[in-house]
Parts: sequence; C-alpha cells; structure tokens
Amino acid sequence: MPRLINFKMTIETGDKGNDGPVKFSINNHQVPLEEVTGGCGAGETVEGGFHVNSFAHSMTLIGPEEGDWEIKSLKVDYFCENTEPYSVTFGPVTLDDKTEVNVWRDPPLPTFDV
Amino acid sequence: MTSILKKLSNMFGGSKNTENVRAESTPEKATRIAEDIRAKEALQASQAEHSPTVNPPVSMTPPPEEAMPDHRPLQRTIIQAPMVVVKSQEAQTDDGAIKIKAEPSREGDSCKFMVNKSLFAGHSWFFSSFESAEGSPLAEKLFSLDELESLLIHDSTATLTRKEKGHFDWKPMATEIGKMIRDTLNDGQGAVGQKIVDEMPSENVIKEDIQKVIDAEVNPGVAGHGGKITLRQVEGNTVTIEMGGGCQGCSAADLTLKQGIHGAFRKAVPFVGAIYDETDHSSGQNPYFS
Repeated sequence: MPRLINFKMTIETGDKGNDGPVKFSINNHQVPLEEVTGGCGAGETVEGGFHVNSFAHSMTLIGPEEGDWEIKSLKVDYFCENTEPYSVTFGPVTLDDKTEVNVWRDPPLPTFDV
Repeated sequence: MTSILKKLSNMFGGSKNTENVRAESTPEKATRIAEDIRAKEALQASQAEHSPTVNPPVSMTPPPEEAMPDHRPLQRTIIQAPMVVVKSQEAQTDDGAIKIKAEPSREGDSCKFMVNKSLFAGHSWFFSSFESAEGSPLAEKLFSLDELESLLIHDSTATLTRKEKGHFDWKPMATEIGKMIRDTLNDGQGAVGQKIVDEMPSENVIKEDIQKVIDAEVNPGVAGHGGKITLRQVEGNTVTIEMGGGCQGCSAADLTLKQGIHGAFRKAVPFVGAIYDETDHSSGQNPYFS
C-alpha cells in the first residue's frame, strides 16, 4: 500500500443537494475538504482535496447531516508515493445522515508491455 | 446504663472488661463515667459538624435518571457506489497491432495478460491441467511451460497461475508468454478448442444448473456457519456470486470460494468458466459479526 500524498475530489450533484460542508473520512478521522470550489446544491459541482501524506486504510465521503444528497458522479484523483497518479470514477449514489460511501481504491497493479 | 456499660466494654477491650467494670462499679463511679462518655460523644459530634474533611455518607442507591445528551459519534453505514472506471494517467494509442500488457498479481503467483484482441469472445474457460488443454492451441502452448498450474481465459485476458506460490519475477517468462499469444492470434488459431465452443450450452442452461448446485449443495453446506451464497450473474458461462450472511467479512471466505464453491460448480456444471466473487467484504457496520 503506497503512501497517499494528496487527492482531488470532484462531485457532481443530481436533483437533491445540500449546503455542505463536504466532509470525508480517512482512516476513521472526519475532515472537511480543503480548497473547495463550487457547491453541492442541486445540479452543482464541487471540487476539493486534501494533503493526506499518510497511508490510507479507508476513505469515505460522509453524507450530509440533514436530508439526502443525490450524487450523480464522483471522481477522485489520487496522487500516491512511487505510483503513477490514478483516477477512480464512481456512478450515482445517494447519501444521508446515516451513510458514507467508500471512495478508496488501491492503485491499479503495475503493468508492463510484452 | 446498660448501653453505657457496653461502650465502656468496647473501650476497655471486650466482654471480660465489662464484667469487671460491672463488678467494681459503685453508683457514684458509674454516674461519673457516664458523664465522661456523654461529654466525649458531644465533642465528637461537634468536631464532625465543623470538620471540612469529613466525607459525606456514601449512598448505594443510583441517582435519579436525567436526560443526558448522547455525545457518542453517529455510526454510519458504509455503502458502495458503482465504480465506473479506474485508470492510471497513461496515454493509450491504438494502431491495429496486437498489444499485450502483463499484470502480475499482488501475491506474485499469477499474472494476467491483457490483449487488445479477443481470445474467447463473451465467454471464459478454465484449464486446470495440461490434459485439459488438449485441442486448445494457445492453452497447449502455454502448458508447455513447466511452471504453469492453471490457465483462465476470459474474453481478451489470459491469467496464468504458477505451481510455486510466492513472489516471482514474471518479466522474463512474460515475454515468452506474450510471444506465444501473439503467434497464436497471428496464425488465426483460437485460444480455446473448437469442441468446447461447439458444445457450449446456453447462458440460461448454465444459470439454472448453477442455481441448482447452490440450492442443493453449496448453501446447505455454508448454512452451518450462517453463510449464504447468491448467484448474482451469469454472462456467457462466466459466473458471479455474492457471499452473504456469515460469509461476508469472514477471513475464510476466499478458502470457501476456491476450495468449496469452485469445485462444486465445476463438478456439477462442467462448462462453467470463470467464477468471480463480487462480495464487498468490508461494507456495512460490522460484517461477519452482524
């Protein structure tokens, strides 16, 4: 498991949005996204990231404190130590005050041409 | 008077002394002793009233219940979103040539070869031995490698597993394997024998047969551990299952899958190809124990 240096998250909201703030959880520590641009209201797109500089065992996007959050798509760009940068795109998911969605994926296995 | 004598008894060391006091006492002497004791008791009561260090009496009854705010963190359920794509930021071009990428597993005992051409379109086939490769051109070539234990062809990928477990440098061997795959495709030969292709039953037949095995054999077996196997999908002859109940999050799930379920499926339904487990063993609040 490589060290996660930082990541950037782009979240496209569907019909039901919220006022934020957008929080994520890394290794069970809840933290708000940093350098946030845009919004997470209905039809809006929000971007943010975090300088982690640690080993990620788990990473989730936390649901809003109130109401539903319909996420249309969610893209995470990961920048890990000694690993090619990689992106993971997730499909639609709805979050609420009792849910969080897993957004961590290990880096793709290294490949070589034969 | 009796209680005063008892207290005197305690002061002087028990019932034996009490008897002595009783025997030696005169009415005047007893009155004087009683006055001393009363004075002593009054002094002690006064000290207790004014002393700040005296502990209050400990009550053994619980305090009345109050509406206390619950500061425990809200436990959320972790859910999974459908994953659309995972890609490394690497430029890819297609110029029509056969391109093969090798991807060794984390454990190192197997390697997946991804070809930009189909090897067995829409289907998969598992070769468990050299003998099983007979009639399948690519498999015959690959099984000429001594180290090979099994071969799984699925659409445009070929996954080779070595007999020896543990980390292995695949690069030298992968070059040879890549050449075998490229030569087979250039010669217009198939990866899987024509006999297998011709006799392949329909998707529905495989689906029904697999469901029968799950109901009659697999689920009664895992039910003892609170587990349950659900057939998620059959695509061509590729089977995807989900392990639920006590199997989800269980550390022995992989062993159950490979040694129990794979064997039962392949024995009862010989045309089954790849078998995948799509269980998310980490989702939920407390898999396995819940």
